[in-house]
Amino acid sequence: MASKRFGTGRRAEARRRLRPAYDSLVLYDAAWQRRTSSVLSGALGIWGVAATVAPDPENANGFVIALPTGAAIRVSHSAPAGWAVTLREPGFGEEAGPDRHAGLPGLLWRLREALAPDAPSGRLVIGAQQLHGRDAAAR
Amino acid sequence: MAAVPVSVITGFLGSGKTTLLARLLRDPAFARTAVIVNEFGEVGLDHLLVEVSDEEIVLLDSGCMCCSVRGDLVRTAGSLLARRAAGAIAPFERIVIETTGLADPAPILQALMTDPAIADALCLESVIATVDAAAGAATLDAHPESVKQAAIADRIVFTKTDLGDPRSNGLAERVDALNPAAPKLIAVHGAVDASRLFGGRAQANGPDVRAWLAAEAVPRDSADHAHGHAAGRNDDAVTTFCLRRSTPLHAVTLSLFLQVLAEHCGARLLRLKGLVDVLESPGRPAVIHGVQHVFHPPAWLDAWPDEDCTTRIVVIALGLDPLWFEALLDALDGEVAALQAGAAAAAGAPTAREG
Repeated sequence: MASKRFGTGRRAEARRRLRPAYDSLVLYDAAWQRRTSSVLSGALGIWGVAATVAPDPENANGFVIALPTGAAIRVSHSAPAGWAVTLREPGFGEEAGPDRHAGLPGLLWRLREALAPDAPSGRLVIGAQQLHGRDAAAR
Repeated sequence: MAAVPVSVITGFLGSGKTTLLARLLRDPAFARTAVIVNEFGEVGLDHLLVEVSDEEIVLLDSGCMCCSVRGDLVRTAGSLLARRAAGAIAPFERIVIETTGLADPAPILQALMTDPAIADALCLESVIATVDAAAGAATLDAHPESVKQAAIADRIVFTKTDLGDPRSNGLAERVDALNPAAPKLIAVHGAVDASRLFGGRAQANGPDVRAWLAAEAVPRDSADHAHGHAAGRNDDAVTTFCLRRSTPLHAVTLSLFLQVLAEHCGARLLRLKGLVDVLESPGRPAVIHGVQHVFHPPAWLDAWPDEDCTTRIVVIALGLDPLWFEALLDALDGEVAALQAGAAAAAGAPTAREG
């Protein structure tokens, strides 16, 4: 996984100003842990990845995804919707990352890219046909 | 001119699709029906059995509709509409597409939903699956395609009921577990109550929305989706469940939810129908409908169709855990709520929930 710089300059300054407002809005409680863990482990199952998801002992906002190979991916949430992804490969020494992604959709996309690049993927298509037909759509 | 309703009749080989269609077309109420069938094999036997005037029958050139549907079906439907507009054929009021027995109905629905050449002139009315009352269980066991056909349908018709009773041989129970939301009809020698076969599309503001969604027929608790039958059958992998929310969802949440499902579930998301309470649109619920990764644009109702003003999203999926959908929806809404509330607080404005 390639490391990327994120949040420098004016945007970073703006983020720092907003941080106090955001930090109080996400409650990292048991329900949040359970919900997020379910999303991650469910996604791994969909991609056919044999891995476990556990709370990160070093970070109440994070999880460790452990693979049978010994590799681990640490994901960490920062309010309101930012996710940092760090890869630790055994034998590689240094950690790679963190990559940062906005929101769960970005996190899931990044994890699939790292763990199951060949898993079937799609994209949302909004068709041209109105559900109610032409007349209703014109109402 | 109003959009022409189009229905799809699917069902495994020999399950009685054409017999059903032939009987329907004898009914004067269905005289103004254009039929699109396709040949399978060297001889178009299905075509020969359909009793309807030549002008209203169109045969697709290729063998398997699911493989060639995007070209042939669109071209054929477009041709029908053009000839109708030009007065070259009778002014039909409905189109019925009969698939081959091996066809996956999903690409057919997607072609109808997405192709701009026909999408504006047609509206999807109903997907009807025929299930052989005598051989249906064996077919479900042997052919995953037949499971998908039954799972995706809006209506299920048990055929050949003179040879088997689906209520006594366990087939009805099995199909009901597979697709609890679809009304089950009994055909006797192809005869069925046609008024219950068609209609029921998500009409704006009508009670039809409720019937179309049929959320009441789906287990209330997603954890209760297990069918309780022997493991290892094709239909074990199909789960039908209803996501319910008593508080409104952010519009962005809905969009992100569908995006994630499309990106990661793909073909395993067989069908999704929903009536959604959107925070930014109080009192005007959104109707959503998708087949795999393809969705209609959301339709907005002027009012709720009944006294139940809560979100109900019915999902039919292949090998996907309902609890993942539950967690994903909540997690996304939590992120969106935090983002919006934080931005509003930073700007000194009230949040959406605060009004």
